[in-house]
Amino acid sequence: MAIEEVDAGSELDERSIVDPAIEIRNAKVTYDEGESYVLDDVSIDLDRNEVLGVVGESGSGKSMFASSLLDSVPDPGVLTGRITYHPRDGEPIEVLDLSKEELRELRWEEISMVFQGAMSSFNPVLKVRTHFEETLEAHDANVAEGMDFARELLSDLYLDPDRVLDAYPHELSGGMTQRALIALSMVLNPEVLVMDEPTAALDLLMQRSILQLLEDLQAKYDISLVFITHDLPLIAALADRMAIMYAFRFVEVAPTQDLVANAAHPYTRMLLNSTPNLDAPLAEMKPIEGQSPAPINLPSGCAFHPRCPLAEEQCMQSEPDYHDVSDRQGARCFRWEAAQAQILLNYEDMLEDRGTSGGDADE
Amino acid sequence: MNYYLRRFLRVIVTIWAVATFTFALIRLLPGGPLVQLRAQLIRSGASPERVETLIQSYTKIQPDAPIYVQYFDYITSLVQGDLGESISTGRSVGEVVGGALPWTLWIAIATTILVFALAIVWGAIMAYFEGSNFDLASSSASILAASMPFYVLAMLLIIIVGYEFGWFPTRFRIDPNLEAPVFSVAFVGSALYHSVLPIASMVLTGAGLQVLAMRGNSISVLGKDFVTVARLRGLSDRRISITYVARNAILPMYTSMLLSVGWYLGGTVIVEEIFTYRGIGYYMYEGLESRDYPLMMGIFLILTSTLVIGVFVADLTYGLVDPRIQTGDQSESF
Repeated sequence: MAIEEVDAGSELDERSIVDPAIEIRNAKVTYDEGESYVLDDVSIDLDRNEVLGVVGESGSGKSMFASSLLDSVPDPGVLTGRITYHPRDGEPIEVLDLSKEELRELRWEEISMVFQGAMSSFNPVLKVRTHFEETLEAHDANVAEGMDFARELLSDLYLDPDRVLDAYPHELSGGMTQRALIALSMVLNPEVLVMDEPTAALDLLMQRSILQLLEDLQAKYDISLVFITHDLPLIAALADRMAIMYAFRFVEVAPTQDLVANAAHPYTRMLLNSTPNLDAPLAEMKPIEGQSPAPINLPSGCAFHPRCPLAEEQCMQSEPDYHDVSDRQGARCFRWEAAQAQILLNYEDMLEDRGTSGGDADE
Repeated sequence: MNYYLRRFLRVIVTIWAVATFTFALIRLLPGGPLVQLRAQLIRSGASPERVETLIQSYTKIQPDAPIYVQYFDYITSLVQGDLGESISTGRSVGEVVGGALPWTLWIAIATTILVFALAIVWGAIMAYFEGSNFDLASSSASILAASMPFYVLAMLLIIIVGYEFGWFPTRFRIDPNLEAPVFSVAFVGSALYHSVLPIASMVLTGAGLQVLAMRGNSISVLGKDFVTVARLRGLSDRRISITYVARNAILPMYTSMLLSVGWYLGGTVIVEEIFTYRGIGYYMYEGLESRDYPLMMGIFLILTSTLVIGVFVADLTYGLVDPRIQTGDQSESF
């Protein structure tokens, strides 16, 4: 592959996505009157009916990205940029220009969200049923029909609808509450579902089974899914495309296959190598040294350069833009080719055995 | 065994324990109440035989009988509602307490309700405007109020509102010129009028801490995920503030509310003395001054029983307020 330092920027997504559900352009979240950024100039598209996995460390801006999609950044944060929602039929909607009432209608009806910590997302003094009913009433939906749909959703999630609806939140187990919350978030049949670490509080078996259920739901109800997590291998099984976040911006966006086989950003590659693997000896597990930066005093140039083994003068001076790895893959790195050549993935042998290794990487 | 029955038996056992403790105090403390009582009677010039019969009638104790017989007699009298004879007033303790208890209950219950009504509304508003000047001023006022003892405020109220301005009566539970208790408008009006200052002195000082508690609870509930989720779900502000924030913020205060009925009952001992308000607190103080042990013990037993019953009610009703607390036998969880 030729070295093309194309100033791709946001065009990367426009080129590859035909029918976007949400377009995000230059989304920024600032606090302290612009002193600190917790989401820095993020541009990405969410394709209709795709599962987009957003992966990053704690404090990398994942949750801010999720809140931005619903324009619900916690006070006193200020969200700027452009977020365009494309309904299946009808005119595109500029989310950030909506009035309070229009925004209230858009949320949950069109773009819905599942929070981290389902246990704390329900009001402890109300029955699960009340949560569904009040949501339907607040959006002037037909409560009887809505409740039938809620029952269907709960059944799809392998819950006994009557038992769950008549229970108080504390009477359900963690996995049941999480599934009930997913049903609640889908009760108005939204187009887009944003999930912010929905499995973080669950045990491994429950995480896998919820992921399986999500896959089924996504296919059955044609929703676009944004799945935010810090658990890269978990989401790799579900996501069509992955976006890796570091220091409040995306550093690499790629279809899951390409990302796993052929990651181009040193951070992505090191993140993949730091994943515990039962098959690999412990010595091959390589944590990334150092800490991810805080929102104030971001390193100059590429925010990752202090932790990057390949960093050179250029990386400290200027910020890299997206460099096209392929027409569907982009990495914000000057040295992505060196990264692919020099930072070897510790499962590279396995990839080669299966013949799925990205040819471009071997130069 | 049935949960309610079990709880009720516990109430009985507690009151029995208090009664036993009372009995032991009277009967067994060396140089204690009984010796004092005997000395008092002898000083007043009664013959030794007369002293023994008087002691027996006052305390329901026959000093010569074996202790278990005495104990049995004492408990039997209590069960029959006989608390003994008051020395200083010459009436039966039951009569004195019966006439005074409703007045004291009114003071204590009205105080509790007002304290918590004020605390819930004011604290919630402060939480909503957290960080504003209103919040700052209210917090300072609350701390000032909480740090002032109620009897100091009571005396300030008597001096300023009572004597200087003459707005409210400073003593008695009712206008002494009024006819004996009949439930007329004049009677109720006069009773309310006379209870304003005693109640105000306890409410204004007691609300301080509760206002701050409610403010703190509300702020912590406002930060909970379920409030954020409720906003995103598009629920109305009204529903969120009442069903989501207020309801959850009040929960931790519910037990302390029922317990404070007991606390304010205890407070009436001093408040009623200051305002010459003839409730059981007033008679408790009178009994203390005139060493009227049967009266003191009777009132002590009544105060304790009221508190125990308050806790009992809290136990029974907590499940209605917070579904996470199970009252009753069903503990279905799946």
